[in-house]
Amino acid sequence: MDEDYEVEFVERGDRKALFLVRGVTPAFANGIRRTMIADVPTLAIDEVRVIENSSVMFDEQIALRLGLVPLTTPPAEFDEDDVVTLSIDVAGPATAYSGDLVSADDMVQPADQNVPIIELKDGQRLELEADAVLETGKAHAKHQGGVSVGYRHLQRVEVVGDADEFEESEPNIVRGVVEIDGELVDTAEFDNDLTQKFPGKEVAVHDVEKAFVFHVETDGSMTVEELVNRATDSIESRALELEDAVSL
Amino acid sequence: MMVPVRCFTCGNVVGEHWEEFKARTREGDEDPEEVLDELGVDRYCCRRMLVSHKDLVDIVSPYQ
Repeated sequence: MDEDYEVEFVERGDRKALFLVRGVTPAFANGIRRTMIADVPTLAIDEVRVIENSSVMFDEQIALRLGLVPLTTPPAEFDEDDVVTLSIDVAGPATAYSGDLVSADDMVQPADQNVPIIELKDGQRLELEADAVLETGKAHAKHQGGVSVGYRHLQRVEVVGDADEFEESEPNIVRGVVEIDGELVDTAEFDNDLTQKFPGKEVAVHDVEKAFVFHVETDGSMTVEELVNRATDSIESRALELEDAVSL
Repeated sequence: MMVPVRCFTCGNVVGEHWEEFKARTREGDEDPEEVLDELGVDRYCCRRMLVSHKDLVDIVSPYQ
């Protein structure tokens, strides 16, 4: 790699971020995207031992709902075969929420507290024990840490002259983040329509070489920063594995 | 029967917002569009999960 990566954040939150990366090839950008979706392991409930379930839902339906609840997964603390036990015990009339899950490990907690699991009527009860395991998004979507991960080519907008005076005006739509005079501008600011930003002007839109705007959201099991770091770590470790295998 | 935990299409956790959405739009009289915007449910795949949901626990519970 002869040039350095340059990263610039447009929006930065714990669960959602928008950032521009320069100096990255389309193949590598897609590699990172795919790794974030399918190859970063997260904890999720995989097996349940039901002690009592007199609710209106079957055991396996409850198990599916519990599995989809994101659990916080601290980096480098867990290995492939580790199991974290969680339990829930709610008696009706009440609603069992994800926040009612009691974890045996303080580091592993439901990322969202208000997801309704099942509404319990008078006399109904839900008591069970669940095992959370570390797996990747490849194995099951509940282990997918990245949600709606994607990227766009960065586009540069330039004013090239005045529009023809009697020309029929048509909207000129761009999406995401564009570069105007070296500044990054969110297209939502001008309703995604360049004719609103530059009325009466003729504009040219070009793709910027090797620059991509990533949109990354997580389900709450880790921050966006951790997700991106662990995705790149995963690519690195597999590249090293390949290197070892080739250079016998 | 119960609100889906995640959006079927993108996997975003939508169950988290159900109770507030229900209280404000079904039981209150706020505009669902504005409530969803405020809750941060931006994509239309996630929005339809909440807009088109109906709780059925009350309907099936007498037949247990």
